[in-house]
Amino acid sequence: MEETFVQFADAGFTYDGERFVFRHLDLTVPQGQFLCLLGGNGSGKSTLAKHINALLVPDEGSVRTFGADTRDADQTFFIRSNAGLVFQNPDDQLVASLIENDVAFGPENLGVPNPELRERVTSALAEVGLQGFEAHETNALSGGQKQRVAIAGVLAMDPAILILDEATAMLDPRGRAGLLRVVRELHGAGMTIVMITHYMEEAAQAERVVVLDGGQVRMDGAPGEVLTRADELRALSLEVPFACRLSLELQKRGVPVPTCITDDALKEELCALASKR
Amino acid sequence: MASRAIIGQYWPEESLVHAMDPRVKFILSLVLMVAVFCAATPVSLAVAALFVVGFYSASRIPLLQAVRAIGPLLVLVVLTALLNVLFVQGGRVYFEFGIICVSEKGLQSAAFIGCRLLLLLMGMSLLTLTTTTLDITAAFERLLAPLSRIGVPAHELGMILGIALRFLPQFMTELGTIYRAQKSRGATFTANPFRGGIQSLTALLIPLFTSAFRHAETLSLAMEARCYHGGEGITRLTPLRLTWRDAVGSAALALMIACVIAANYLPL
Amino acid sequence: MRLSFEAVSYSYEGAAAEKKRARSKREARRADWGNAPDALWALRDVTFAVEPGEFLGIAGHTGSGKSTLIQHMNGLVHPTEGRVLADGRDLVEKGVAHEVRQQVGLVFQYPENQLFANTVYDDVAFGPRNMKLAEEEVDRRVREGLALVGLSFDELRDRSPFDLSGGQQRRVAFAGVLAMEPEVLVLDEPVAGLDPLSREEFLGLIRDLHGGGRTVVMVSHSMEDLAALSDRILVLSEGRVFALGTPAEVFADAAALKAVGLGAPAPEAFAGELRAAGFALPRALYDERTLAADIAAQLGCVRAEEPSHG
Repeated sequence: MEETFVQFADAGFTYDGERFVFRHLDLTVPQGQFLCLLGGNGSGKSTLAKHINALLVPDEGSVRTFGADTRDADQTFFIRSNAGLVFQNPDDQLVASLIENDVAFGPENLGVPNPELRERVTSALAEVGLQGFEAHETNALSGGQKQRVAIAGVLAMDPAILILDEATAMLDPRGRAGLLRVVRELHGAGMTIVMITHYMEEAAQAERVVVLDGGQVRMDGAPGEVLTRADELRALSLEVPFACRLSLELQKRGVPVPTCITDDALKEELCALASKR
Repeated sequence: MASRAIIGQYWPEESLVHAMDPRVKFILSLVLMVAVFCAATPVSLAVAALFVVGFYSASRIPLLQAVRAIGPLLVLVVLTALLNVLFVQGGRVYFEFGIICVSEKGLQSAAFIGCRLLLLLMGMSLLTLTTTTLDITAAFERLLAPLSRIGVPAHELGMILGIALRFLPQFMTELGTIYRAQKSRGATFTANPFRGGIQSLTALLIPLFTSAFRHAETLSLAMEARCYHGGEGITRLTPLRLTWRDAVGSAALALMIACVIAANYLPL
Repeated sequence: MRLSFEAVSYSYEGAAAEKKRARSKREARRADWGNAPDALWALRDVTFAVEPGEFLGIAGHTGSGKSTLIQHMNGLVHPTEGRVLADGRDLVEKGVAHEVRQQVGLVFQYPENQLFANTVYDDVAFGPRNMKLAEEEVDRRVREGLALVGLSFDELRDRSPFDLSGGQQRRVAFAGVLAMEPEVLVLDEPVAGLDPLSREEFLGLIRDLHGGGRTVVMVSHSMEDLAALSDRILVLSEGRVFALGTPAEVFADAAALKAVGLGAPAPEAFAGELRAAGFALPRALYDERTLAADIAAQLGCVRAEEPSHG
């Protein structure tokens, strides 16, 4: 049986008591899913992410993570250690000067004793492809590497969900590709992923895409279903993936291709058409 | 690169002194200062100097580097020596010009005080040369720990120091960027700060502070997300442990004090 | 204004380099990736010129020397070897750099991080005031600067820049540079960190500024943006000029670009893949429409509205 890891039930949240960031929001994330949250500025996606690990708690309705109510203070550490959050700016989330000390910060707070603590640091760094960099300084790293250290710091807490709050937004294409590779590997190994982004090529890799606007779920489905609705995406000031844009241009010119979301899929379709002629 | 020069002057090396527990080194460097102060005669000062040189060779740090690490503080040594030359009088007079009078006693005292100050500074540098700032922070925090019972926030102080060290190089970089950006907008930073320069200064500092607050806001959230809740019940990746090296170091220091005091009574 | 680079090389402080070598032991502990230690030379033997009125794109992955290069353009840093000339005057000469700074406006990455004044007006006026202009002239330039970036002078003049949204803050920062009325505008990753909508708006703004007769130099990670806007593209790799030419010339060799860590723009990259699969796609540089048209023609579906451009 698949377990429900995250459940927003009729949840509402407001910073100032007047304007709700989201309201009457229902959303569930089952165990093992790779979910991508899309939305323009002010759509409420970052606020939503902070609800999953009890950094914020709802003013209306409820949010349950692993079945535990996020408003229950006794469950806070249980929830936070199991739902790790990586933030946008790599410079804002590293606490220590040395990589190993930073990665150890979470488990140290959880009171993990020593031989195990050292093992966790080593294996977390290996999982993000930074094995052997324990004694390096965090300041000497590139943005992409800092973000990977941040992920390792979360992984060392041994979480069941990894939440990435626009973790790729400030990276160059290379750093972004590296981070995405790490995330996909983690998902392959069974990690539940909630990824917030506005890069469509990243969304195309997910299993499920949820589009938020004004605190409401506007679209929800497989990437192939959601990312092909070009007009709706544009209306929500989101980009449309290149393969989808090209598919639409081709359809306008009478080429019988379906709307694809990845280059590879579109290329296959076109090659099949060419060989038929 | 700039950051290196600012935070500490750690000199990585594998040596007995490097491997000592930072808490012990912290205390022993205080003891070393006392030992140097105990030296009252040139002979006992020479004995103390022998020990300091010995410690440096045990740490495998070249003496030249030790002097370089003291850097600008050398001016202090020279200045102190000069003041002694000018103000201590007695014995033969070598040179006299107006109120300036260089005497035998003056030179002796200058040499003695100068050497003593130099030894003190070298003793202190030994700690920073052989210990990473991170370890010094840890030692500081854990030496204070017993005081947390009487309300001294030892863990928090350590955390603050650690985070300050982590962000210092970053702020230096950011300040550099802001400086160049404002310079691109025609700002001049060499002007008199009291005449129009003030605005240039705020053009540097306001963005820096804004950025610091922004960092602080997310950092505190990020720490919370990683279950930070103060010092209670936490474990350490690198626990500090006493080893035979610390015993050797302490014994060496004790020997030093004994020798220095004994040398004070040598008839010379 | 013509900015010409003549055999420019730049190293992080010759003295520091010496010291570094002497302390090789210490350096061994440093991370030897990212900004690799052999990147002692940020720029090596760079020769090219920014021609008056052109739109020059600069590409290169992180650490390729892009930032160092553009900081040479208004004399913030001077070459270790070689020289940079602005209309024939060496930026190293006394006073030249300060003068050139008024004609070459440099907008740093995340420029909103450099806002500092109490009001939008004062922040935008910072540059013109540093130029010692009369107060009426400063006022005129602040109005014009804000108008150029599409912000309302009357609404914003007395607001604190820190109360504005991220996109608006960036516009204010832009206006602060535009108010100096530079002939050459140098932009470092001007749309980094913006969401897709603001990105489009901003690129439109930059296109307009260029259309208004300014020379524009733009550093970007996005090959699509560079291909769409640039007259010429300069590709840097490890501090050297790797390629310099029109977008079509530069993106013709996708394999070589990939070797230095860069991709081609999506349509061009996709065209390359199709060519490898046997499609005949003759154009030198594709965008979505031209690519769709040529593919349709290849497949014999020519019910096309012909693309209006390209």
